[in-house]
Amino acid sequence: MSDDVITLDGVWKVFGMNADAAMAAIRDQGLGKPEVLKEFGCVIGIADVSFSVKRGEIFCVMGLSGSGKSTMVRHLNRLIEPTAGNINVLGNDMLGLSDNDLREIRARNIGMVFQHMALLPHRTVRDNVAFPLQVRGEPKSRRWEVSQKCLDRVNLTGYEDRFPSELSGGMQQRVGLARALASDPDVLLMDEPFSALDPLIRRQLQDQFMSLSAELNKTTVFITHDLDEAIRIGNRIAIMKDGRIVQIGTPEEIVTQPADDYVRDFVDGISKLKLVFAHSIMVPIGGYKPTRPVNFDESPRAHHGTDLDQLIDIATSTENVIIITGDDGADIGVVDRATLLKGIQGGKA
Amino acid sequence: MRDTQSSADEHNVAAFAQDNARYYETEFSKIQGKTGFTWSWNMMAAICGPLWGAARGVWGFFWIFLVLELFALVQVGRGLWGELGADQLARVERLEANIAKREAQAAELTAAGDVAGAAEKLKIADNLRNAAEKALDAANSASSAALTILLTGLVLLVALKLIEGLYANYAYEAQYLKWRSGQKVQSGLRRSGIWFGLVGLLAVWPLTLIRFTVAKPEEFVSTLTGGFLGERVTITEFPVGREYFSILAKKGDAGFDWLANNFGDLFDGVTASIRWVLDGLEVLLIQTPWPVVMFVTVVMALRLAGARVAIFTAASLAYLALMGLWELAMITVALIGAGAFLCVLIGVPLGIWFGKSKRAYAFAEPVLDFMQTMPAFVYLIPIIAFFGTGKPPGVLATLIFAMPPVIRLTALGMRGVPESTKEAAIAFGCSRKQLLFNVELPLALPSIMTGINQTILMALSMVVIASLIGAEGLGALILEALQYAAKGQGLLGGLAILFCAMVIDRIAQGAYRRSNRSN
Repeated sequence: MSDDVITLDGVWKVFGMNADAAMAAIRDQGLGKPEVLKEFGCVIGIADVSFSVKRGEIFCVMGLSGSGKSTMVRHLNRLIEPTAGNINVLGNDMLGLSDNDLREIRARNIGMVFQHMALLPHRTVRDNVAFPLQVRGEPKSRRWEVSQKCLDRVNLTGYEDRFPSELSGGMQQRVGLARALASDPDVLLMDEPFSALDPLIRRQLQDQFMSLSAELNKTTVFITHDLDEAIRIGNRIAIMKDGRIVQIGTPEEIVTQPADDYVRDFVDGISKLKLVFAHSIMVPIGGYKPTRPVNFDESPRAHHGTDLDQLIDIATSTENVIIITGDDGADIGVVDRATLLKGIQGGKA
Repeated sequence: MRDTQSSADEHNVAAFAQDNARYYETEFSKIQGKTGFTWSWNMMAAICGPLWGAARGVWGFFWIFLVLELFALVQVGRGLWGELGADQLARVERLEANIAKREAQAAELTAAGDVAGAAEKLKIADNLRNAAEKALDAANSASSAALTILLTGLVLLVALKLIEGLYANYAYEAQYLKWRSGQKVQSGLRRSGIWFGLVGLLAVWPLTLIRFTVAKPEEFVSTLTGGFLGERVTITEFPVGREYFSILAKKGDAGFDWLANNFGDLFDGVTASIRWVLDGLEVLLIQTPWPVVMFVTVVMALRLAGARVAIFTAASLAYLALMGLWELAMITVALIGAGAFLCVLIGVPLGIWFGKSKRAYAFAEPVLDFMQTMPAFVYLIPIIAFFGTGKPPGVLATLIFAMPPVIRLTALGMRGVPESTKEAAIAFGCSRKQLLFNVELPLALPSIMTGINQTILMALSMVVIASLIGAEGLGALILEALQYAAKGQGLLGGLAILFCAMVIDRIAQGAYRRSNRSN
């Protein structure tokens, strides 16, 4: 087996009474969204979604509301049954599982955080966090021990005996995160966890989540409608539109090579300084034609993975061009003022 | 009139009105151009009245003026050909026949030599004659009122025509706005509308006019229709006797008898299980010495609901004891307790089921309505047929009346559990059972508790009715008071029931509030 933890292959979800007939028609006649709605009264939730997520990776799924991202993530623990396709999580064919095995996987291997927290209002914070363990049938002492550890981890020590309604939104979502971590799952599903929070708290929680995930190394599927957030958090990003994935790539790929106008629209508003690196804007050293005499020997050197922000710092400290070096230290390219400015402006020279 | 902005799009007045579009464009812009009342006269509506509404699909207009114009026409009809003093004249005729009879009797008596008896009869005849004269006067004055009535009717008719003409364009403009916003209303003129309007007029006007303006409507109608209406099919009464009713009622009797004969064991089983619960409660409440019951109740009130409720409880219990109603009250409480217990035992699971299954609830809804709205006396009859009289049937009647709230509110609570919370629980691997006991029931609990409280109070209100079929207790005391018109006894018994209800309610609410606060 590869180290792919999650694999989706050609997954479709059609909502409606005649979903199967509609699915067959989509297969055979290639019907589009409006035709399916008109002829079968069915709505396409997600269409032909395929991707895989590696162990320890944070995979962000970005899209506007209604793009099917929340529907998609609910397929990973089969809260929603797909109409067609294959889903594999941790080596389990999710669609072939019995009800019991499915519950077992949900309770042990997949944690989930929800946009609206979905805490149980009649239970204390501690009992909320311990809920997945209680479902699994763990004794109370073990439940308390684990939930204490998880609450410490999200900096909620001292709030164990409060009720969710006594906590602020940000704190409630940290309880939600602690609950998802309580069963020590291999996979974390985060369905727009920070969307309902105000920007400051959101940023705090993003930082906290990133340091946690660096520490715990959980494979994460993170749903968001905010490209900034996706870029901050994700190792890779998938962009969804109308139930389809229009592009999958690293944040840099998304920003520098948007697949279509839809993605470009998102990317336009994003600051590229931390996302674009020297190797994607440099001119290869052989093809560089200086506009004025330059002294390569006195030029500062920078690794090809240096981002634009740092390149600007270097450029302001010298009159010379910047020489870009490869991993082995050899000179491979040149960045001069013009190239740098173009890079800042467009992401790509 | 092409300058109105709306004439550009497809939703303009012309597309709506179709016929006579130019006129309506002018009138609507007049109405829309002013905030208050505008003189906007619609001649067609004034002349045709309801039929204009029918043709244009303004059905509210049609029905209102159908009735109003009919009222005016009835007045006109009464004024023109109505025999206004007819009933008084008939009375005069009857009286005169009577007078003639008395006078004949008087003549007989005189012939027989009984002068005193004859004078008596003549005196009666005199009195009758006075009455007849008065009736005649009334008849004359009634017929002289005919002109006034005719004039009133005509004035009313003209006023209605004026209102129709002035109001029509307003009504039509409102319909135009509805049409614009895509609601399904008629646009333009429709011939089918006119036909329907005519049929409506013919169905309503002639018979009603005849009924109110002609002295003998049945005869009049039968001469008009050649004996079909009025003779074979009467118009003042529904032409059917009570034979269908009695046939169906007999069938119902037979059905109940059949059930009682064939399912006797089942009914006995139900009775036995209710009696079992009842006996348990009665032992607890009646056989236990009264100081113990009082002490426990007051302490319970104190612990669960606080000092104030405890004092009230003590006072209420003292009242019951001092009035000598202690045993009756305990019997009543046992009756209610058994009823409420069974309601909860059966109602909560049913409510959970109905809360989860929309289809089951759709089937149950009319049954629940039936249980709550059917007068208790109606189901008391079959209950007696199946279960006899006494306390268990009384509990059963209480069940029927008091169970719907707990079922409804449980179902409501179950449906009120947020979908997202349930989803989260399932995402963490909950089974259906775990979901029910860890998530759904706790979140539905406030609603369920309200339902139980309502059920208890409704059970209390059934006490008197249950006593009709032999359930003893305070209800029987009140029933007795009713039979002998014993006002004082009724009042004291009623107060006793009231105190029982309030004590139970306050303790239950206090307990619930307490458990809520601790959460």
